[in-house]
Amino acid sequence: MTPKGRHAAGWWALIIPALLLMTAFYIAPILQVLAISVTEPQPGLGNYERLFTSESVQRVIGTTLRIGVITTAIALLLGYVLAYRIAMSGPKAQRWWLLAVLVPLWISVLVRAFAWVTLLRRQGLVNQGLLATGVIDQPLALVWNELGIVIGMVHYMVPYAVLPMLSSMREIDPRVLTAARGLGAGRIRTFLRVFLPLSLPGLIAAGVLVFIFSLGFYITPALLGGGKTLMVAEWIKLQILDLIRWGLGAMMATVLVVAILATLAVLSRLVNLRRLFGAGS
Amino acid sequence: MSQSFHEDCIDLARRALQRGTVDRRGALRALGALGLLPLAAPGKASAQGARELVIVNWGGIANEGFGRFYGAPFEAANPGFKVAMNSTGPSAGRIKGMVESGSVTWDLCDSSASSARVLGKQNLVAKIDYSIVKKSDAISEAFTLEYGAAPYSFSSVLAYDSAKFPNGPPQNWADFWNLQKFPGTRLLRRDALAVLDAAQMALGKDPANLYPLDTRACLAKLREIRRNAVFWANGSESEQFLRTGEAVMGQIWHTRAKVLEQETNGRIKFIWNQGLLQAGIFVIPRGSPGGVNTQRLLASMLANPEPQVELLKFLGNGPTNPRAAPLVPADFRRFNPTDPENAKLQVTLNGDWWGDNYTQLNQDVVDIITG
Repeated sequence: MTPKGRHAAGWWALIIPALLLMTAFYIAPILQVLAISVTEPQPGLGNYERLFTSESVQRVIGTTLRIGVITTAIALLLGYVLAYRIAMSGPKAQRWWLLAVLVPLWISVLVRAFAWVTLLRRQGLVNQGLLATGVIDQPLALVWNELGIVIGMVHYMVPYAVLPMLSSMREIDPRVLTAARGLGAGRIRTFLRVFLPLSLPGLIAAGVLVFIFSLGFYITPALLGGGKTLMVAEWIKLQILDLIRWGLGAMMATVLVVAILATLAVLSRLVNLRRLFGAGS
Repeated sequence: MSQSFHEDCIDLARRALQRGTVDRRGALRALGALGLLPLAAPGKASAQGARELVIVNWGGIANEGFGRFYGAPFEAANPGFKVAMNSTGPSAGRIKGMVESGSVTWDLCDSSASSARVLGKQNLVAKIDYSIVKKSDAISEAFTLEYGAAPYSFSSVLAYDSAKFPNGPPQNWADFWNLQKFPGTRLLRRDALAVLDAAQMALGKDPANLYPLDTRACLAKLREIRRNAVFWANGSESEQFLRTGEAVMGQIWHTRAKVLEQETNGRIKFIWNQGLLQAGIFVIPRGSPGGVNTQRLLASMLANPEPQVELLKFLGNGPTNPRAAPLVPADFRRFNPTDPENAKLQVTLNGDWWGDNYTQLNQDVVDIITG
């Protein structure tokens, strides 16, 4: 070991207590729980077999992926527009914009879900308003279905989409854009050929973040879905607490963990994850 | 997010207390009767040699006064005992976790008939010792099961918005399923229990011989109506769906139906006819520290009709003691599920049958609803 290496090893030793603590009180118990998926009700891979044989298991995964993808797409679109607008405004305006993006983050997810119920239900503000103005003559089904869930989840996710994209857009040198214009590119061409590719790492990072969050949503679907849409998190809760089929619940939890780690692994090849999670570049 | 009946009771109690419809003492008395109030600062270890029994409930205004109600009668009759409360919420999964961990600290858990059977078959709860608990203290065998006994009762009834049906309201589950005659969104619990029983009655089977359910037909019947239905997971949700007109009729707990009927001045009504009468079953986790004394505590909960009546007056939970019904004041009889007049209209849910079929059927029901 070189002197420099030994020096580094000394620094690593400093985090060993934290590592041990995490292993003993976090990682080990999680592995213990996940192990139930191959030990209950009988030892073996019977629970995982259900991934291929049980329509119910497949449906829950399908629903979760579908809602996750839709939410991610809409949140990215809205977030991109917002981030673009923020990145292009002056420093003072930027601060107000950021505040407006961050404030919803501090409101409890439960409160927000109930707020959406109040707005979207049959006799809610939106339907009443549309009825009064004569745009519709029957209340629209805006909540107690997947639409309601997506609305609630997108609302939750937009800030998470904005922040990584904004940080990546801020790093784009404005002179590059000016140069593109100077060389004869129009506004749209400048955006598509210069700005968009340069902001792509932020877009991908935001996509990963939002998608992974979406997979584990629990409260929003439970409150806005009218009981008719079951996503993975609530399904696991049902198996563990109510139906006492721990093996099956642990199997799905394992699948969720593996899916998230796999997404991260794939994406780590595309973007710099350390930057995504806040480490300096 | 599925909420159990007892969790919902606490929710209702808190609200009644806030609105001042019940005074604090009444609230405490009623919660005490339900076993929902923990002893203030329960001593963990029985240092002075007092033997402690732990009743596990579903939380709520739970940190004072229990000793005066449920505990006190038992403590008075059995010097040297202390009854403490714990509001962890003893779901079947948590009971399993505790028993399998090998360090059981719970004695008596507020559970359900079907969970009692499921847990019993997995050898996770103890049998009730009916030489100690008196079967004669309950109005029927449905309240004294092999693996649990019920000091209270509740019912899943048909409630409807009378403003939506000027030409006559629905009378039974067949009407509930009749979308031509009674158009509008239906409301059901996202659970197999009581929902499939109602479907079986809608199919025309004699309520007196309802069990075993024809599960395939019942599930098909549910599939028939799911597009026109919303589904609740907790009691307050069920109340909101009806109150706001989101649904025109629903199968909800009678405690919520009572509140709706009173607070909407009769716009929302409910009927006892074909309601599913259910037992509020308490179970004893296997290896509970109290041993035989846990059985004695359960026996005393069933044996005292007065606190059971207090509970009815406050929350609407029905007594199960046969001597309780005559003690109920006249204006509460309409809302007592085990009042003889109401009980004869209802069907007692078969907890044993459900215990054997619940896990599979609940999954099937969830699949249909979310399909």
